[in-house]
Amino acid sequence: MIAPLLEVKDLHTRFFTDDGVVQAVNGISFELNEGESLGIVGESGCGKSMTALSIMGLVPEPGRVTGGEIRFRGEDLLRMRAEDVREIRGRDIAMIFQDPLSSLNPVLRNGFQIEEAVLAHRDLPRRVTAEQAVALLRKVHVPAAEARAKDYPHQLSGGMRQRTMIAMGLANQPAVLIADEPTTALDVTVQAQILELLRELNRDMRTAIVMITHNLGVVAGLCDRVIVMYAGQIVEEGPVDEIFERPQHPYTWALLRSVPRVDAMRHERLRSIEGLPPDLVQPPSGCRFHPRCPFRVDRCFVEEPPLESAGEGHRAACWVRMARAYDEMGAADLVDVRPGAASGIHAAGEGVGG
Amino acid sequence: MATSPAVAPGAVPAEPLVRAQVGLWSDAWRRLRRNRLALVAAIYLTCLVGVGLVSIFWTPYSISHTGVGPTYQGPTSAHPLGLDNLGRDILSRLMVGVQISLIVGVGTQIVVLAVGVPLGLAAGYFRGWVDTVVSFVINVFYGIPDLLVALILITVISLGKPSLDKIIIAIAATRWMDMARLTRGQTLSLREREFIEASRSSGARPLKILFGHLFPNALGPIIVQATFGIPQAILFEAFLSFLGLGVPPPTPSWGAMAADGVHSLRIAPHIVLAPSLALIFTLMAFNFVGDGLRDALDPRQRR
Repeated sequence: MIAPLLEVKDLHTRFFTDDGVVQAVNGISFELNEGESLGIVGESGCGKSMTALSIMGLVPEPGRVTGGEIRFRGEDLLRMRAEDVREIRGRDIAMIFQDPLSSLNPVLRNGFQIEEAVLAHRDLPRRVTAEQAVALLRKVHVPAAEARAKDYPHQLSGGMRQRTMIAMGLANQPAVLIADEPTTALDVTVQAQILELLRELNRDMRTAIVMITHNLGVVAGLCDRVIVMYAGQIVEEGPVDEIFERPQHPYTWALLRSVPRVDAMRHERLRSIEGLPPDLVQPPSGCRFHPRCPFRVDRCFVEEPPLESAGEGHRAACWVRMARAYDEMGAADLVDVRPGAASGIHAAGEGVGG
Repeated sequence: MATSPAVAPGAVPAEPLVRAQVGLWSDAWRRLRRNRLALVAAIYLTCLVGVGLVSIFWTPYSISHTGVGPTYQGPTSAHPLGLDNLGRDILSRLMVGVQISLIVGVGTQIVVLAVGVPLGLAAGYFRGWVDTVVSFVINVFYGIPDLLVALILITVISLGKPSLDKIIIAIAATRWMDMARLTRGQTLSLREREFIEASRSSGARPLKILFGHLFPNALGPIIVQATFGIPQAILFEAFLSFLGLGVPPPTPSWGAMAADGVHSLRIAPHIVLAPSLALIFTLMAFNFVGDGLRDALDPRQRR
């Protein structure tokens, strides 16, 4: 077995705020292989972006990676000198961001910004880098690349800006491209084009992609494997088809139910997930999802479920699991999704209307 | 619009590509031209630079040659601005004074930029102890009266023999804090922008981020501040010269020329009037241009 390209072990990232310590990322572990495409999904504030920024070594103040390992090609990025991490950043691991307009420097020409990304790691004459910038823009299918290289970011459309960002990310042919919600700020047709582009890069250049998104459709179309995060932890992970067809964690199940489907019958309503993501200063005891979970049992309140195998390459952290929920709690045609509704277990002092 | 003929599968069709090429600077220039007052002031300043250049090679009379005519003589056709208390031609001296004023004004701002901008960028970007130290020094300099700083510096560094470069350093020492503070403020807000994070994620070195990404974005306000700083420095130099602490005679600084005429203000007001009016017009011109630049470089104030 070949060693994974990127290996994250028991990563902890915390924010030391005036209101207390926020556990943004709490002990997550995963692996990324060469040429693989991994999706990280979860709702806002579940720690997806902080996981990415931790890998890049760019956790903003007052946050800090407080524990764990991030091994890239066997070397722990957290124990490297800052200068060595800077060398890896952009050269081996690149990142693209959510909003392509604010991620491009408004006063510099597009081509120049791509050149800068090249020059951060290689010493080349401007004549060469200028050609490379145009070639990169072509590679990401920007029409009339020479002219667009001379434009400023505000002169491009959203899709073209995101392509420019991707061109910047690819400037040094990185082994890993981390895409943090790259399509969220774009309209739907452009989203599809960008995803197609990423799929193509993943296929043709063997660039491993970490796709961070709250959009399950994006994951379904692009990724080989999915990690579902909730409250700074991994609650479920596995191959895409497996997760979509047999989700085992109630959170994954609920996420999937909240996505509109073309093949759904008319009378089916979209189900939102009751409640709000937990406060990460004082996360709930036991399973972090139990305050919102319709299938919770007594054990969920006190004991944290470990991430355990639920099939081939499929792991879930749940005491109940959806298999049991379907068999015993009638999950198949559940209408009431309030906490504890299906299992009939409510916390003391928490009304059924909760 | 013809793009590459062979479009790869999955490529998107070309968008409409007809866009006006309007860059930041051409846009700013267009808006500056619409501001009449700034335009007139800019033309005046251009002429002033011309006069300064001409005076290097030619003046109607020698600036140090005394007694080219009767002392205190008012304007005549031979001497349009009259003669001063030593019988020197005031127009010639005024022309050379342009050199002094412009060199002091621009020179001071170059020093101010060279000191204030890097300090402000570093303090705003790195924060922490760098910011603490820089901000402390700024506040200390603000706390001391600027005249005192200038006087002490001139006395110390020039050992009683002031020259133009030392005066520039002394004035810059009292003026760099505004620039540092402005740049720091700009940097503090810019550093949180996503494109800075993006450039860090592409592996850019800190120096590159400071001067390649932060500085160009703060350039507009910095240019405006520098433009307003020029008349301040000119005025300060005139003030020092008036007190006899400026460039040594017979070099004709406007301030020194005004000082020459003060004692004879009642009988020959033109000796004070000529350099004073030149000073006033020049200061106004720089301020109008600065105002125009501020409007032109700030898209939010677009009318």
